[in-house]
Amino acid sequence: MIGARSIAEPTIKDTVIHRMDPRAKILILISIVFVAVSLDNQKTMFLLFLTVLSGFVLAKMPAIKIKTLVILLVLLIWGTIYSQALFYSQLPRTVIFTIIRPEFPILGWLTGGGLFVYEEGFHHGAVQGLRSASILSLGLLMCWTTDSRDMLNGLVGLRVPYSVAFMVITAVRFLPIIITEVATVITVQRLRGFNPKKFGSGIIKTLLNILTPTLANCVRRTGTLAVSIQSRAFRANPDRTSLKKLEFSNTDKIVVTVCVFTAISVVIMKLIYNMYTSGIYYTSGLRPVYAIAGGYL
Amino acid sequence: MKNRGFLLLILVLILQPVAAQAQQEDFKPEDMTTFIIQVPHGVEGNGLAVGNSTLSAYLFFESYYDGDMNVTVEFDLPKGFVLHEASVHSFSLQTEYDDWYRLVDFYIPADTPCGIYNITAKAVVDVKGKKHTIVRTTQLKIASKKEVANEVSVSQPIVPSDEDGHGDPSHPLNTLVVQETSPALKKLLKVTDLKIEKEDLTSTYMGIKIENTGNSTIPVIVTYDILDTKTGEHVKAFKPDIMGMNADTLCYAAVTLSPGSSSLISLPIYISQDAMGGDYLLRVKVKLTGSDWIAIAKNQKITAISRRWGPIITTFTASLLGLTALGFFLSRPREIMDRFKTRNLVMIALFGTVSFAAINLPMTILWELSHAIFGPFSFLFTGLFNEILLYMLIASLVVLIPKPGVISLFMMVRFLLGGFITGSFTPITFITLSVNAVILELLLYIAGVTGKNTALDNRFRMGILCGFADMFSSYVSFSVWMVLYRLFYSDWYIAANILIDGFLYTFIGTWFGISLGNRLKKVAE
Repeated sequence: MIGARSIAEPTIKDTVIHRMDPRAKILILISIVFVAVSLDNQKTMFLLFLTVLSGFVLAKMPAIKIKTLVILLVLLIWGTIYSQALFYSQLPRTVIFTIIRPEFPILGWLTGGGLFVYEEGFHHGAVQGLRSASILSLGLLMCWTTDSRDMLNGLVGLRVPYSVAFMVITAVRFLPIIITEVATVITVQRLRGFNPKKFGSGIIKTLLNILTPTLANCVRRTGTLAVSIQSRAFRANPDRTSLKKLEFSNTDKIVVTVCVFTAISVVIMKLIYNMYTSGIYYTSGLRPVYAIAGGYL
Repeated sequence: MKNRGFLLLILVLILQPVAAQAQQEDFKPEDMTTFIIQVPHGVEGNGLAVGNSTLSAYLFFESYYDGDMNVTVEFDLPKGFVLHEASVHSFSLQTEYDDWYRLVDFYIPADTPCGIYNITAKAVVDVKGKKHTIVRTTQLKIASKKEVANEVSVSQPIVPSDEDGHGDPSHPLNTLVVQETSPALKKLLKVTDLKIEKEDLTSTYMGIKIENTGNSTIPVIVTYDILDTKTGEHVKAFKPDIMGMNADTLCYAAVTLSPGSSSLISLPIYISQDAMGGDYLLRVKVKLTGSDWIAIAKNQKITAISRRWGPIITTFTASLLGLTALGFFLSRPREIMDRFKTRNLVMIALFGTVSFAAINLPMTILWELSHAIFGPFSFLFTGLFNEILLYMLIASLVVLIPKPGVISLFMMVRFLLGGFITGSFTPITFITLSVNAVILELLLYIAGVTGKNTALDNRFRMGILCGFADMFSSYVSFSVWMVLYRLFYSDWYIAANILIDGFLYTFIGTWFGISLGNRLKKVAE
């Protein structure tokens, strides 16, 4: 549990990435997500993935987080590869392994003619896995390099209502406590003879037995916490002041501008290209756009 | 006087046969008939063929004579050619413009030497006992396969093209768009009043320019196949049965190429609903009429873009719904948040934390791990967390705070928490959670679960409502994965997920969640 906490909590250092304004990080993340979702070209997608990974080098992330990232990426990409190898529905496709034969009773019918592992699906899954991997890596980079208080300020700075930001920060603050509490409840369950690692009923019983006492404690805390917060004039005035004033640096401005501009351009170009390929709209004046979108995006 | 009359009668009797004889002698066979021979059928002039062909010669006879005539047509083939039927045909024509025609099949053996052969048709016309003979001769060149292949050339197919075979720049080259329905075909069916049982056929055309550089008229049949690039097998989805007919009977063009001429032809391409996207090999085949021998085969790699509009529209609508809900919230945050006491907000935040600690954190690893291990059946395991546990929390939270908006706030905390801790700021999470929140809020409010007079005791009703809401959210989630991340899922997998995870697990989770909520209520009080 302590390991899980250290993985979840940000590592505060003084690097280019850490110094970035949290609002800039959120805007960059949103922009890159749009780019990643729009891209289809394998090389460009791989380039984007490498660019995101280079952020971890710049941020000088500790080994445990890099290990966590690698494990998550391997599982994520493998999961995508495996699912796509099974459900790949393009041609050509080559069956390399049969999981359920079409003539297998019930399951053969249920799966609409058997279940196969396709060679081309592996390749497609690997490419598509990069998309999710880029988004996940950037999200992790952002949350591992930003203090939760700064994140709250960033959210408020981006006009997220203070009450919502407050709820999130309350949740973040309580996370280690809840995790510790869950660990305690699991220990108690073990002492009572439950085996949480036992697959099947063991997991279900453990989950149910953890949930009730944990939630009961949460509900009890709610009253105390609410009184404490209200006594500190929470929601007393519509406008709030902040101890730390966020300010965009010149680098932040440039990076955000580049990212937002790139995202808008990529999305618009892909939209135009998709309208062309679908026969919805075509004009000869947009040929360079079609060429770029078809060849590089 | 009597003698005069008698002499006149004799004169009439003498002159009548002479006049009749004169009239009969006026029959000119070349002027008063048309006799045509075409070998092979459709070729005006000299034709061309290769050995081992079965051809049809066309014989046509028309009369411009206002009277009876008996005609005997004799068809004479060079030695070695095998006629499939009688060589002599007799018929009668009674009136002016009366005609007779026949297609006469014959076979040219494979070992027939190359050269020019004369084919003759002789018509003997019997008009009132007098016979006239008309002879027609045509030449058929028997060429070697190499010679024919050198004389005929085809361009690379233009895919897609317009109905005349011209390239259509508004569509990407060598690309077919596989759509769920084709508005163009629907329009076409409406105009022509045709009814095809398989309504979901997409149609387009390909253009092929074919040229004859030789000195003979060459009759050819142009057709095509769409093949699997790896196995080389025909892909039936691109040549489906149409109105009970094999598409081969519709997807061909018979062209007669005059010497030194070229022709642009178009062939229809029909794409059935079950066609898959991907790369294919388009093979255009040019056969000499009467022969199965393929004179020219031109290969072209084509790509079929599979675009299912259902998930695209679902994703677009869901995104719009999510953004509208967010816009609504951001337009009046104070009004919405003021409906909740500080205690409520803290409780929602803590439930969000619990959901994150009990669902999101373990699932970050378990989700992918279970996919990697259990493959398509992993949802049976992950559903324990994602559905049963989650809906236990949601149902118990609704029991504790039965107000509209509580689920949306809970989802919002989950989304932001997931984003900050595990970096899951993804469009899929946003769309799925926002749609789930909106649907749940709507259903629970309409059913009277949240609102002024809350009715929380009916576990069955709430289970059903949450089940339906989650079924809908699951479908949206799959659509978003398929559209935004270009992933594939089988229909059975989606259906199983929606029914088991979406409904069954959610129902169970809600059922237990209400009991849990009632127990927690006692703690809260």
